[in-house]
Amino acid sequence: MVNKQIIDNYRELALSLGASDFAHSGDTVYIVVDRERLRGLAEALYWKKNCYFRTCAATDETKINGFLALYHIFGDDRNGLNIVVKTYTEPNNPVIPSISDIVPAADWCELEAYDLVGVEFSGRKLYRFMLPPTWPKGLYPLRKDTPYNYRPGLPVSGERISESPVSAVVPVGPYHPALHEPEYFELYVEGEKVVDVKYRGFHVHRGIEKLAETRMTYQQINFLAERICGICGFEHSVCYAQTVEKAAKIDVPERALFIRSIVLEVERIHSHLLWIGVAAHLLGYDTGFMHSWRIRELVMYLAELLTGSRKTYGINLIGGVRKDINEEKKKKILETLELVEKDFKKLVDTMLGVPELVKRLKGTGILPREEARKLSVVGPVARGSGLDRDIRRDLPYAAYSYAEFKVPVYDDGDNLSRLLVRVDEVLGSISIIRQLLDQLPRGEIMAEDIEIPEGRIATSSVEAPRGENVHFIITGRGKPYRWRIRAPTYQNIPALKIMLEGENLADAPLTIASIDPCFSCTDRIYVIRGGNRYRMILPRRY
Amino acid sequence: MSRFLKKSIWIFHLNTGSCNACDIEILDVLTPFFDAERFGVKLVVSPRHADAILMTGPVTIESLPKVVNAIEAVPRPRILIAMGSCGVGGGIWHDTYSTIGGVRELLKILEKRGIVVDHVYYIPGCPIRPEAIIYAIGLIKGLVKKKAKMKVKTAE
Amino acid sequence: MGKLGFVKILVIAAEAGRVTRKYPYEPPLVSSDFRGKIEIDETKCIGCGSCVLACPPNALVMSDEGEGYRVLKYFVGRCIFCWRCIDVCPVDAIKGTREFELATDNVEDLDEAVIHKRASCTECNGLYSTVKQKAYVMEKAPITENYVDKCPECRRNKLLRAFEKRRGGESLE
Repeated sequence: MVNKQIIDNYRELALSLGASDFAHSGDTVYIVVDRERLRGLAEALYWKKNCYFRTCAATDETKINGFLALYHIFGDDRNGLNIVVKTYTEPNNPVIPSISDIVPAADWCELEAYDLVGVEFSGRKLYRFMLPPTWPKGLYPLRKDTPYNYRPGLPVSGERISESPVSAVVPVGPYHPALHEPEYFELYVEGEKVVDVKYRGFHVHRGIEKLAETRMTYQQINFLAERICGICGFEHSVCYAQTVEKAAKIDVPERALFIRSIVLEVERIHSHLLWIGVAAHLLGYDTGFMHSWRIRELVMYLAELLTGSRKTYGINLIGGVRKDINEEKKKKILETLELVEKDFKKLVDTMLGVPELVKRLKGTGILPREEARKLSVVGPVARGSGLDRDIRRDLPYAAYSYAEFKVPVYDDGDNLSRLLVRVDEVLGSISIIRQLLDQLPRGEIMAEDIEIPEGRIATSSVEAPRGENVHFIITGRGKPYRWRIRAPTYQNIPALKIMLEGENLADAPLTIASIDPCFSCTDRIYVIRGGNRYRMILPRRY
Repeated sequence: MSRFLKKSIWIFHLNTGSCNACDIEILDVLTPFFDAERFGVKLVVSPRHADAILMTGPVTIESLPKVVNAIEAVPRPRILIAMGSCGVGGGIWHDTYSTIGGVRELLKILEKRGIVVDHVYYIPGCPIRPEAIIYAIGLIKGLVKKKAKMKVKTAE
Repeated sequence: MGKLGFVKILVIAAEAGRVTRKYPYEPPLVSSDFRGKIEIDETKCIGCGSCVLACPPNALVMSDEGEGYRVLKYFVGRCIFCWRCIDVCPVDAIKGTREFELATDNVEDLDEAVIHKRASCTECNGLYSTVKQKAYVMEKAPITENYVDKCPECRRNKLLRAFEKRRGGESLE
């Protein structure tokens, strides 16, 4: 339970800065503030109170109260608090002051709100960000009067982000051997040094939020949430389910919470093993890649045994889980974990004994601590840059309060630190699974009557392998009125610019991979025709 | 199956906006447990070197132009392998505003632009298992028999 | 670890041995809990449509076709194998298999359909529901037998008339 003193401090702060409303429920504080006073409050929260920025969610509430609303979500991780700041604006002149100069982490989500809901931000440059450049002006997919299946019939054409006369441009993507997802980076180079990076993503924008708000029902969305990302999908579905459960105040049986935690950790192990393999491959150490994936295959088999599918597990529902863990499976888990732990330790030992590998990891792709804080980066990227944050410990969910674990933090901010964080986390996850299996309580795995009232607001976070997922929900009738997803990579990509600048071009693929980018999470939304002027870097495909 | 595919199939992997699960399984097929290189399958870095395109994802409108370009770059005879429930049928987001809804819609667009696709294969699954990919490779090379068949039943 | 410590990878490789599966020449590595394609038992299916409502990707759809037929269509190509339909089916007509070898060169191979005959109303001859759903309702709730053979419209009118009679002739409409 959150200390009352802390809540009072927030109340005082908010009211002194002109908030018009203040409420508190569970681990979330709600503040309503006028447009004019938003910037002052954001500055106080982000810099004085030292809160992290989670995300912002623009919502079309014209059907409820005639306004558009913008929710900025901050997180006070040390005290285990979410802070939701709400601002209203009129739909005919939807202008809200931008906070992206005070809170650099808010840059992307403001652009997204502009693109999808049509909220204008004063005091910053706005441009087409998420939707294709040819998308019709004035058509906002997330407004309630736009049908979810309206397809404007766009012309088929390509683009480059911008022209640069001085430096040579190395386009990376969208179909590039080093990326297994369609994303487009332009690296501007002088000689061998990268001087600037531009990014055009959102090739994987599939309209998930809109789909959930229109065609689907509460229980169906669990399966949609899982398909936000195929690698860390279970985190998304847990996050969705627990946000709805929080909003509707549903008591989930303890056994279900334990099973969720166990499967979450299984997913973390496979995801990190995957990443370590890919990193080894990018460094030209294919032996490491093959062995890492060989070990991972055991975990995949385990995941299938526990859930019924190798990925996109499909065992989550609001109110509990669909599949139980019996004694036989428990034994199998412990056996597999032992094998994985033994093999993994040996492999990492050997990998880190390769001098060339360590040399290329150490001191490359540096993200200093201050920059990391400024951009509110999450997950292993934050922990590799000395930020001690982990949602599993700070705002415990599922069954994490029953397990003891150490949050690994390294201060160097380079690629090696991020690798070491992930290595430690694999071992940590193995220990968490063992502890939870030991304490697995008896009982039901599904809550009985599930009733979800309308008009409730909730936000919650889950620590995915790549960092925290944030889901924000306003409940509606039979389906969410608004569902906003913030994936970890969304917060981490802006940090790439800092990591890549001044780097050698040869280190760029590894550095891009070092944030473990998961673009399908990020986009929920280019073959560039190379003229003679451009050189392509083509490392081998992994 | 076809005469020209008796030998090694080189494949270009084209992600058109999938959730990653299928893409990771494609990589998985190349790793020790499944090792698709047994059948001469190799992932290549450019569509110009490829015999077949392995397409995952429902084809988002942002990726559509690039997908069309990539398919056009494959020398004939072209093979398109649509993978996963997104690739084959548009998946869970088959009718949203930012996707076109899978390979069947894509084929219509390709036809309109005069790009010929000689063979199309479909692999359902969400995500497809590595074995399902190997089975499909076996099917293309004529090593296994086709099992899927349309069924129409009458309830009486 | 010495300077050449990384050569230990050879030891790891030797210990792991050969792990490659010989599939398709040996059975696949499918666990007992794997969720594969679903199988609809047409003798049990009553055409109620609850699986259609539960299906997240609309792989199961139902439509009225031709003269008096209602067709449940299952497109394997869009199925996400979540087995929610199995959970919700009231008559256990859907069962899960471990089948995943579904690749084909003809997309029509992935279609499945169950054709139901629609029931016709004894009063207005209009079509409604399916014959088998009607039988199912009769069996589960025999008390409705006076109403179950009518379409929803005639059913409502009959109910209204029954009220009228009880109230002594005054029309409710």
